[in-house]
Amino acid sequence: MILKELQLLTPELSLLVFALLVIMLDLFIKQKKVLVVVSIAGILVSAGFTLSLWGIHATDILYAMLSVDQYALLFKLIFLVAAGLVILASQDYISKFAQFQSEYYALVLISALGMMLMAAAQDLIAVYVSLELSSISLYVLASFLKDQKSTEAGLKYLLLGAVSSAVLLYGMALVFGLTGHTCMPCIADSLKGMPISNIMQSPALLMGLILIVAGFGFKIASVPFQMWVPDVYEGAPTPVTAYLSVASKAAGFAVILRVLFVVFGATAWLSQDWGLLIAVLSAITMMVGNVVALSQSNIKRMFGYSSIAQAGYLMVGLAAVGMAAGSDALGRSGLLFFLMSYTFTNLGAFIAIIAISNKLNSDQIEDYTGMSKRAPLLAIALTLCLVSLTGLPPTAGLIAKIYIFNGAVNHGLLWLVIIAVINSVISAFYYFRIVKVMWMGAPASEEKVPSTWALRVALSLCCLFVLLLGVLPAGFMGIAQAAVKIFTGS
Amino acid sequence: MPSDIFACFFFFRHGILSPQHFEPGAFTVLADYGYVGILLVAAILFTILLLLIPLTLSLLGVVPRKSNPVKTSTYECGLETIGKTWVQFNFRYYLFAILFVALDVLTIFLYPWAVNLRGLGLFGFIAMVAFFIILLVGYVYAWRKGALEWK
Repeated sequence: MILKELQLLTPELSLLVFALLVIMLDLFIKQKKVLVVVSIAGILVSAGFTLSLWGIHATDILYAMLSVDQYALLFKLIFLVAAGLVILASQDYISKFAQFQSEYYALVLISALGMMLMAAAQDLIAVYVSLELSSISLYVLASFLKDQKSTEAGLKYLLLGAVSSAVLLYGMALVFGLTGHTCMPCIADSLKGMPISNIMQSPALLMGLILIVAGFGFKIASVPFQMWVPDVYEGAPTPVTAYLSVASKAAGFAVILRVLFVVFGATAWLSQDWGLLIAVLSAITMMVGNVVALSQSNIKRMFGYSSIAQAGYLMVGLAAVGMAAGSDALGRSGLLFFLMSYTFTNLGAFIAIIAISNKLNSDQIEDYTGMSKRAPLLAIALTLCLVSLTGLPPTAGLIAKIYIFNGAVNHGLLWLVIIAVINSVISAFYYFRIVKVMWMGAPASEEKVPSTWALRVALSLCCLFVLLLGVLPAGFMGIAQAAVKIFTGS
Repeated sequence: MPSDIFACFFFFRHGILSPQHFEPGAFTVLADYGYVGILLVAAILFTILLLLIPLTLSLLGVVPRKSNPVKTSTYECGLETIGKTWVQFNFRYYLFAILFVALDVLTIFLYPWAVNLRGLGLFGFIAMVAFFIILLVGYVYAWRKGALEWK
């Protein structure tokens, strides 16, 4: 039985072994290129194990702490892809912290490990421990440049992150206090057993729900817990920013969907309660993200606000899941599809930014003037990703938005979808400002922008998937539907 | 943070948050909070009373006032400080402290494991070896990076 459990844990275990290997190799090997190869090999091995488990019947392991199911496996793949692409893209950036390469790769791998456990966690304690594992690595990564801005970013992230995990823990403690369980299905059973009037009269449960949403809200950067985003995104090294905006957010959504659906989706009225809460937060998040992004002149800050707005769109899907109260899987699979699309799109945009800002040594949008002549391929890739972020054909962003908005309209959230569409139009303004600057303006110099082959591979993979998800969404939607199937029974 | 969990656990254990209190029309919750309120008022009154006793006694002249340097000094025991108290500690102490904590946890963890080793069997042994290796990686890392040298 234990061997069987270890076999189900192979993706995480192999990643841990490779992370430790990277740390050890650095101490005894002079040639630092080996470290990249080992990290990428680790990710490939772990992804291979994850794929070999695909199609498995949902199994609880380690005393029901973790659940190995399709949902967790899909998220594990997303995190591994994000970590792999970030490591490839960091090759252009690594000269800025050449001394600490192994630490960088190991921390990226370990935070990916934490996120993989987060997606699989089926117990509130496991959720918290894996959340901390990934967060602590990310705090260190955010301050990796050791300059003033990066240190500020790391410290801000650490302090606010600590507060948010305290809030999360408080919420979990309240839920535990009321039900006497920490395992999610047990809590759900216990809540099902209570008459509605009992739950209504106890503010403890609703308070716990709100505190838990607040704790995860920090992770997914929803308003009003978004304050850290612009500063941390601006100060952190650009590859880490990319990683934060994609993997960390996806991990937040993985765990919030599971907690809300399994624990608080137990009764229909409770489910609609948090559905409405998320819907209102989502509307505010979209508005704040998009409107503030309009006035940004630093591209990393702009992408910070843009990622807040994208979290808002994702929360439309989450609200639809709540409103559907378990009757309809469209919201859930749409959410997963949006996360896949967002992963590739945002990573692609950031990879292009890494190459360009590395050459320019600046993150100002005006310095991107005439980039189409200096780096035509990078400009095309960045344009494609911006088009996808706006949600225009023929890219992944459009299909993702259609799925999510469709689910929301089906469950009486038409008002929210109208707000979301208006926001998409607003977002087109600032996304296309960069496109305009890149293609219309005259370049300040004729110097070409160099990039390594590793970055080019990562960027072309991103662009390929942005187009694939946009043109042939059915296959990927099928994967997303297979992943959320585990929830239909509960 | 831990105290919050403890408080919640405490409430749960002692029935203040237990499910039967959430029945329709249950006023027991309010009553329980009433006890807390009474305790709070009693605690405040007690504090004020304790503060008032010496004041009244000294006003009445019952308490003698014979001050001397030993009596008024801040420290009742221990050594007097020499020099300034705002000394900067070498940051290397941090490294040692962190390493100490990591290995200390290992030691604490080893005791219950060693007591139960026979019951845990081969799996327990392998699990501990894995844990040990992970810590060892950290130790070797610190060693090679020169964290153990006092330069």
